[in-house]
Amino acid sequence: MMKNGFLFFAGLFAAFAFGWAGIALGSHRQLGALAPYHDDSEGSSFPSRPPGLAARGQLVYADLGCASCHTQQVRRPDFGSDKDRGWGERQSVARDYIYQVRPQLGNSRTGPDLANLSGRKAPFDAAELTVFLYTGILPGGKVLSHPPFKFLFDDAVVVGETSAYALVLPPSLAPAAGRQIVPTERARTLVSYLQSLNTPYEFPEARPVTPAVAQKEGAHK
Amino acid sequence: MSSPSTHAEVTAADTAGRWPLLLLFASGLVWLVVSGVLALVASIQLHSPAFLADCAWFTHGRVTALVETTFVYGWCANAGVGIALWVLGRLGGSPLRALNWAVVGTLFWNAAIALGLIGIATGDATSFSLLQMPGYVQPLLVAAYVAMSVSGILAWNGRRTDGTFASQWYAVAALFIFPWLLVAAQAMLVWSPVRGVLQAVVDGWYVQSVLSLWLAPLALAGAYYVVPKATGRALPSYEFAPLAFWTLLFVGSFSGGRHLIGGPVPAWLPTLANAACWMLLFHFSVVALNLRGVFSRGGTAFKFISFGLSAYVLGSLLDAMTSFRGVALITQFTYFATAQQQLALYGGISMLFFGSIYFAMPRLTGRSWASGALVRGHAALTILGVLLLVVSLAVAGWIQGHDLNNAKIAYAELSAHTRPWLLVVTAAYSILLFGNLLLFVNFILSVCSACCVRSDNLPDSSSFRQPSAMEVPAL
Repeated sequence: MMKNGFLFFAGLFAAFAFGWAGIALGSHRQLGALAPYHDDSEGSSFPSRPPGLAARGQLVYADLGCASCHTQQVRRPDFGSDKDRGWGERQSVARDYIYQVRPQLGNSRTGPDLANLSGRKAPFDAAELTVFLYTGILPGGKVLSHPPFKFLFDDAVVVGETSAYALVLPPSLAPAAGRQIVPTERARTLVSYLQSLNTPYEFPEARPVTPAVAQKEGAHK
Repeated sequence: MSSPSTHAEVTAADTAGRWPLLLLFASGLVWLVVSGVLALVASIQLHSPAFLADCAWFTHGRVTALVETTFVYGWCANAGVGIALWVLGRLGGSPLRALNWAVVGTLFWNAAIALGLIGIATGDATSFSLLQMPGYVQPLLVAAYVAMSVSGILAWNGRRTDGTFASQWYAVAALFIFPWLLVAAQAMLVWSPVRGVLQAVVDGWYVQSVLSLWLAPLALAGAYYVVPKATGRALPSYEFAPLAFWTLLFVGSFSGGRHLIGGPVPAWLPTLANAACWMLLFHFSVVALNLRGVFSRGGTAFKFISFGLSAYVLGSLLDAMTSFRGVALITQFTYFATAQQQLALYGGISMLFFGSIYFAMPRLTGRSWASGALVRGHAALTILGVLLLVVSLAVAGWIQGHDLNNAKIAYAELSAHTRPWLLVVTAAYSILLFGNLLLFVNFILSVCSACCVRSDNLPDSSSFRQPSAMEVPAL
C-alpha cells in the first residue's frame, strides 16, 4: 500500500473522509433537521426567533471574539456549578440554538457563561449593561472586571439637547462638561443581543434523567 | 572542487531547492515573531484587562484570534511545508521540480494571511477556532496551499527509490489532506453554514484534524528523517511505523470531541473522543519507540527533537486523561486546556520543526549556522519558555477549575487566585519571544553568509565530515 501510488492516495483520502463522515455527517444526520418544540398547552413553539437587532448583535459579539472568554453552554445541574452560580436552571440543548445564525458556544470560561444572561434571577437591565461595556466595572463595583470597550462609544459634544442614548455615568467617570458618551449602533445591537440571551422554556430533552420519577409521573409534560 | 563528503551532505536536491525553501522558513520565522508579540499582548490582557482595551483592533477576543492564526497558518504552515518539501526532495532522489509553483504559492499564502489578519483586526473574523480568517481570503488559502504542495507530490510520484520511508508518508499525507480539510470546513462553516450547534461540532472536527492530520504529520516528517540520518542507524521497531501512521490518520480527528463534554451536542461525540484518545496511544508509543535514539545523542537538532518528542507523547497522555468526564469537569474551559494546546503546538510540533530546521539549514545554505552562541541562546530560552508557559498555565487552570466548581467563589476572588500564575505566563511569553528573535537574527545572518557562497564552490568542507558538525557549530 505504501508503494502503490494510487492506493496510498486513496488511503489518505479515506482517512480524511472517514473522520469527516463520522463526525460532521454523523451529527448532521442526528441534529440537522431539529425542529422547534411545539407546546400545545402554551399554544406556541420554542425556541422563539431572536429579534432582528439581537441577531445583528450576535455578529458584533462574534467579530469582537467575545467567545474567547465566555461560553454560552450551561452544563447540567449535577455536572459543575453552573446552576449554583445562577447561570441557568437547566442544561443547554441543541434545540436552543437552531435559530442562531452563528452560535457562540465558546471554549473558555475566563468570564462567566452567558447562555442565559437575561434569564437569571437578577439580570442586568439595558442601561446597566451599556455602562458596563463602557467602563468595564460591574454595577456597584469599584475594580475593573472586564476590558472597557470604549471604542463602541462616541465621546461627542452636546449640541442642543443631550442624546436620549447618552450614558449616565458616576462622577469619577463622567465626561467633561458639555460632552456626552453615546453608544454607537454596534454597542446598541450588542446590548440588545445580550438582553435576548434567555432560555426560559424547559425542553423535554433538557430535563435531568431520573428514571424512577419518570416512570411514576410519565415522561412528558 | 568540493570533497566527496560535502557531496554526501549537500545534495542536488538541496542546491536546487535552496531559495524556495529558505523563503518558506523565513516567512515562517517572521510570523513566529509576530505571533510572539501578539501572544504577549493577549497574555498581559488576561491580568490587566485595560491594556490596549481602547483600541478595537487589539481587543482581547481579536488578539486571541490573531495569535492562533499567525501561529498556525503563519509559522507552522510555512515551516512545516518547507520541511515536508525538503524531506520529499531528498528522499525522492532527484532535485525538486515545479519549485516556481512553490515560490508563487508561498507568496500568495503569506499575502492571504496578511490580508486575513487585517480582516480579523477590523472585524471580519468568522469566530470559528482556527478558521478565523474572513471568507474572502479562504479560497486564496486553498489555491496557494495546493501550489506550494505541487513539488512535494511530484517528488513523491517521481521517486527513484524502491522502498518508501515513514517521513515520506507523513509529508505526503500533510500536503495532500490539508486542502480537503480546509475546503470541507469552509463549505460547512463559511459558504453554507450548518445549523445551530453543528457549527461547533464541525469546527471541533476541523481543529482536531488540523492538529492530527496536518501539523503532527508535518512535524513527524521532519523528525522521522532527521533522527536516522543523524544517528546513522536504522530506526528500531520500524515494522510498526505503517500501522502507527494509519492509526493517527484514521483515529486522530475523532479525538476532538473531548472539548465538547457536557455541551449541547450528541453525547456520543465525547464518548467516541475518549475511546479515540486511548487508541491513539498506540500511535504515540510507536513514534516514541521508533525515535528513541534521539535521547542517546547530543546536538542542537536532537535537543529540540527530543524535547518535542517528549512533549508530543506527554501531550497525548494528558489529552487521554482529560477526555474523561470526571477530569474534564475541572479542566474544561480553563487555562489547563490552553496549557494542553500550547504543549501540543509549541512544545510538540514547533520544537520538532525547530529541530528539523536546525538540521536542514546548513545543508541548504552549504554553511553551518552563523552563530553558535545564538543557537545555544535560542535553545535555552525556548526550552525554559515552553516549560514555564505550560506549567504556569496548567497550575492556573487547575486553580481556576476548582474555583469555578465552587459556586461560593466569585469571579473577582478567582481572578486574584490565578493572577500570580498569569504573570508567570506573561514572563514565559517574553522569554519565548526573545528566544525566537535570536533564532530569527541567526537565520538572517546565516542566509546572508550563504549569499556569497556559490553552489559549485563550497568552502570549508572539513566541517561537513560529520553530520553532527553541520548542525551544531562549536557545541
